[in-house]
Amino acid sequence: MNSDPIESDMDRKELNAWLMAEEGGDEEAADAAFAHLFSAVPRVEPRPMFVEQVVMAAWAWRARRRQMALLWAAAVVLVAAAAASASVASPVLARTVVKTIAFVGGHTVPWLVAYASVALHGWLTLGHVGAVIAGTLMTPGRVAALVGVELVGILAFYALRRVAGAERLGDVQV
Amino acid sequence: MAVQRSDAELARDARAGSEAAYRELVTRYATPAVNFTYRMVRDRALAEDLAQEGFLRVYQRLHTFDPERRFSSWFFQVLRNVTIDHLRVHRIPTASLDELEEGGRRVSIVDRENASPEELAGQGELASAMTAALSRLRPEYREVVVLRYQEGLTQPEIAQMLGLPAGTVKTYLHRARKELAELLAARGWSPESREPTPGKTL
Repeated sequence: MNSDPIESDMDRKELNAWLMAEEGGDEEAADAAFAHLFSAVPRVEPRPMFVEQVVMAAWAWRARRRQMALLWAAAVVLVAAAAASASVASPVLARTVVKTIAFVGGHTVPWLVAYASVALHGWLTLGHVGAVIAGTLMTPGRVAALVGVELVGILAFYALRRVAGAERLGDVQV
Repeated sequence: MAVQRSDAELARDARAGSEAAYRELVTRYATPAVNFTYRMVRDRALAEDLAQEGFLRVYQRLHTFDPERRFSSWFFQVLRNVTIDHLRVHRIPTASLDELEEGGRRVSIVDRENASPEELAGQGELASAMTAALSRLRPEYREVVVLRYQEGLTQPEIAQMLGLPAGTVKTYLHRARKELAELLAARGWSPESREPTPGKTL
């Protein structure tokens, strides 16, 4: 703590200038006076090696990214070259690969379609049952009442959120 | 006499691969960055980690920087996002933990171990009281105060950064100053008194 009386007196004068501007409602003057006063608040300085560490981290990331890009490029080139040389050197091998892909695809896709159909059928049945029940119970009046209640609920929820948000943010203009 | 290059020029050169330009940018913004994150998290080591993460993200996103915009405004926006992300994930309390009531006496627990030497020594009494009062503000007030009065951003720039209407930023600044005045007055720094009340420390 600095207890120099001269400095303390200067502090007091600056504080008074700011508080008087605030009390007078002069926003610009208060802003300027406070800025002047606040300039005495020291900033928190980083450690001496901070800049070096940051630059090293960024350049390490840059090197990794370049390495990854090179690896991907090399992989693409290798795969393309392998495919090209395989089809040139051995047309039989290339045909076998294509046939294998076609075989696997031909056996798995129908199975997937059948599975999806069964699953869909269950939902369709449920939907049908629901429609029958709704048809029996619901009348236009009941539907209108239900929609009305839902609308009121949504509006209440929206209003609550607005109130909570305004309180949290203190979103009122000076 | 060498002409100092603008932040936008340095950002452009850093993006093109100039380590010297990036280093210059980091040197310029190291203190503002650590100061800003420290005011948000009140932990020296964490503040430096977040600032470093912020600088890395800035480097990764230099291609998105619009030279028409002020670099400092864009930089603090990225840094703030990094800080907010961290606070959300780790749920770190950012306010009202700097002081506790202990045996009926208000004592400061402003992390003296982690606080910078500048915070502990060499400050005038008022600056010291202001530092402690600042730490008691709500985070949203604290950040606008630091951005406005320490980093020199304008109200529209802060509004753009925070995604708030300009009027709300003005309100935050007004209320923050008012709260700071009240906190200082509670410690004897009111216009009427000549000296701070003895025994009341922040």
